[in-house]
Amino acid sequence: MLLENVKTALEALFGNRLRSVLTLLGVVIGVFAVTTTISMGAIATAGITSELQDFGSQSLFVVVDFDNPQAQRFNDDDIEALSRLPIDILQQQSTGGEIRFEEESSSISLNGTTANAAEVDRTLELDRGRYFSQADEKNAAPVIVLSSDASQELFGDTVDPVGKEVAVSFGDGSRVFYTVIGVKKRIGGALGAFANDVSGDIPLTTFYNDVPGVTRGEYDFLPITIDLDRNANDIEAQVRAILDRRRGSDTYTIQTIEGALSLFNTITRILQAVLGGIGAISLLVGGIGILNIMLVSVTERTREIGLRKALGAKRGTILQQFLIEAVVLTVIGGLIGVLLSIGVLYLIVAAVPFLDRVIISPAVILMAFGVSVITGVIFGVWPASRAANLSPIEALRYE
Amino acid sequence: MENVIEARDITKVYTLEGGLEVHALRGLDLKVARGQYAAIMGPSGSGKSTLLQILGCLDTPSSGSYQLAGQEVSELSEDELSEIRNKRIGFIFQSYNLLPRATALQNVALPLMYRGTSAKERLQIATKSLERVGLSSRMDHRPNQLSGGQKQRVAIARALATDPDILLADEPTGNLDSKTGVEILGLFQELHEEGRTILMVTHEEDVAEHCEKIIRIKDGRVEQVQEVEQRRLAEFTGAIP
Ligand SMILES: Nc1ncnc2c1ncn2[C@@H]1O[C@H](COP(=O)(O)OP(=O)(O)OP(=O)(O)O)[C@@H](O)[C@H]1O
Ligand SMILES: [Mg+2]
Repeated sequence: MLLENVKTALEALFGNRLRSVLTLLGVVIGVFAVTTTISMGAIATAGITSELQDFGSQSLFVVVDFDNPQAQRFNDDDIEALSRLPIDILQQQSTGGEIRFEEESSSISLNGTTANAAEVDRTLELDRGRYFSQADEKNAAPVIVLSSDASQELFGDTVDPVGKEVAVSFGDGSRVFYTVIGVKKRIGGALGAFANDVSGDIPLTTFYNDVPGVTRGEYDFLPITIDLDRNANDIEAQVRAILDRRRGSDTYTIQTIEGALSLFNTITRILQAVLGGIGAISLLVGGIGILNIMLVSVTERTREIGLRKALGAKRGTILQQFLIEAVVLTVIGGLIGVLLSIGVLYLIVAAVPFLDRVIISPAVILMAFGVSVITGVIFGVWPASRAANLSPIEALRYE
Repeated sequence: MENVIEARDITKVYTLEGGLEVHALRGLDLKVARGQYAAIMGPSGSGKSTLLQILGCLDTPSSGSYQLAGQEVSELSEDELSEIRNKRIGFIFQSYNLLPRATALQNVALPLMYRGTSAKERLQIATKSLERVGLSSRMDHRPNQLSGGQKQRVAIARALATDPDILLADEPTGNLDSKTGVEILGLFQELHEEGRTILMVTHEEDVAEHCEKIIRIKDGRVEQVQEVEQRRLAEFTGAIP
C-alpha cells in the first residue's frame, strides 16, 4: 500500500506539473537564499580573517601615547634594549608631503626606514626595480621605492617609473628630488583591495638629511616583527615588561592584529546577522509561496479527497499520499536549492580573490532543509487533513 | 426475500451557516429487497439525493437506523465506512466526479487500489469494465476529452469495477439526451439481470418506468412505493456517441 501510495503521490505531482513546479520553486528559493546568505557571511569572515592573520600575525606596533604629556619618543637605547628579544625592530620615521612627476602630483606619506625592511616586513614585495641597499642607506642616497598606489597616481599604467626623477616638497616649502628605484607590489587580498596606500620608502639617513624638524634617533612608533616560531603573546608581554621599566606603562600603546580582529569580528557578526535575517525573510517568502499554491489548489484537492474517500480510501491512506507528495517536493526542492547554492558559492569564491574557500556548514543546510520541509509538510498536509475529516459528500461539495 | 437495505425513521438535518436548519429527511422508512431495480422520484428538494447519499454511506443520517445487508451502519467507524463504500456500493454521481487529470482507465482503476488489488490486475479489470460500457476506444482519454455520455459511462464503469452488489445512481440520465439516456438504461437493465440491486433517482416518469418499482418521496418521507405495471425495456447496443 505504501508503494502504491508513493506511485499515487508521484502521479498527482506529475498530473499537476504547474502546481508542483511552483511549490518546488518556493522551497528552492527558501533553501537557496538561506544557505547562500549565511554561508557567504561565513566565507567572507574566514577569507578576511585569514588575510588579516597572514598580514599581521606575529607583529606588534608600539606607538608613543602623545595624549600623555610625560610621554617621550622612543630612542635607539630602547631599540637596543628590545633587540635581545627574538624580534626584528624597524627604525622608521614618517612624515607627510607632496610628490610630483611632471604634471601629476599627489600627497604622500614618506617613510624613512632601513635597508633590512625588505627582509623584516613580511608583507613587503617588489613589483619592479629593487629596494634600497645598505650602501644607499650609508650614503643617504636620494632614492625612493614607491607603493603601488603612489606609482599608479604619478605614472599610470604606461610609463615605467624606475629611473624617473620625482620631486617631494614638505610643509615648510623645501623641496628635494629622488630617483625611483623600485615599486612595491600591492598588498594582496582584502586589505590591499580596500586600503589606499600612497606612500614611498626612502633610506632613514636620507630622511634625516631632507625632512625638516626631525630629530635623529627618535621614533614615534616601532614596528616589531616577531620570529615565526615564537608565541606572540609571550613576546608582547616581554616587550611591555622592558618598556614599562624603561619608560612607564602609560606612555605608549601596543597595537596588535588581535585587537583589530576582535573589532572585525564584531562587524562580521553583525553582517552575518543581517544576512541571516535576509535569508530568513527569503525562507518566509518561499513558505508563503508554498502556502499560496496549497490554498489555491485546496478546492480541487478537497474534491479529490472527497472522491477518493467515496471510492473507499481511508483517512490514513489519504494523509499518507499527501505527506509523501509534500516530502518528495520539499526534499527535491531542498536538494536543488542546496546544489544551486553550492554552485553559486563556488562561483563567487572563484571570482573574488580574497575569498579562499567555500564553507558550507551542515547545520545551515540542515536548518534550511528542515524549515522548508516542515513548511512544505505543514502547508501540504494540514489542508489535506482538514479535507479528510469531512464526509466524502461534504468534501465533494466543497467550493 | 432478504432486504439488502432497511432504513428506519431516518432524519437528516443540515445546519446552515446562519444557524438555520434544513430538514431534508423527516423520519423516512425504506426497505429494498436484494436484486431490486427501483426508481426514486419526487419533487425537487424533497430529499432524493440526500437519501441516496446516506444509503451509499457517503453521508450519515442525523438520526434513525440504517441497516445495510443486516449491518447497522451508524455503528461503523470512518474507516469501516470507507471499506463498505469500496466493497459493497457502486455510486454513480450526477456530475460524474472523475479525477480531471487521470485517464478514463486510471479513473476506473482507482477504487480497486483502495482494496489492495495489484496494479496489473487493476488494469485488466478496468479495461474489462470500460469494454463493458463500450468505451474501449477511449481508455486513455481524460475527462475533458470525453462527451457527457462517455463521462457517464466512465463513471458507471468505475462503479462496476469493484463488482458491487448495490448500484446507486443519482439522475444518471439527467444530463444526457434521450437516445443516450436509453443506452444507459439498457446497461442498467443488463446489470439488473445479473442480480444487482439498483436504486436510481430520476425526474422523468418514462425513465422510472424502466424499473420494477417507483419509490415516491415528498418532504423528506416516502409517500408511496408503487409497482410499475408496464415496464419499459431498453437495450444496450454500446453505440453511445
Ligand atoms: N449541503 C446542504 N446544506 C444545506 N441544505 C442542503 C444541503 N444539501 C441539500 N440541502 C437541502 O436539503 C433539501 C433536500 O435536498 P436534496 O438535494 O436531497 O433534494 P433532491 O430531492 O435531490 O432535489 P433535486 O431533485 O433538485 O436534486 C433541499 O431543501 C436542499 O436545499
Ligand atoms: Mg438531487
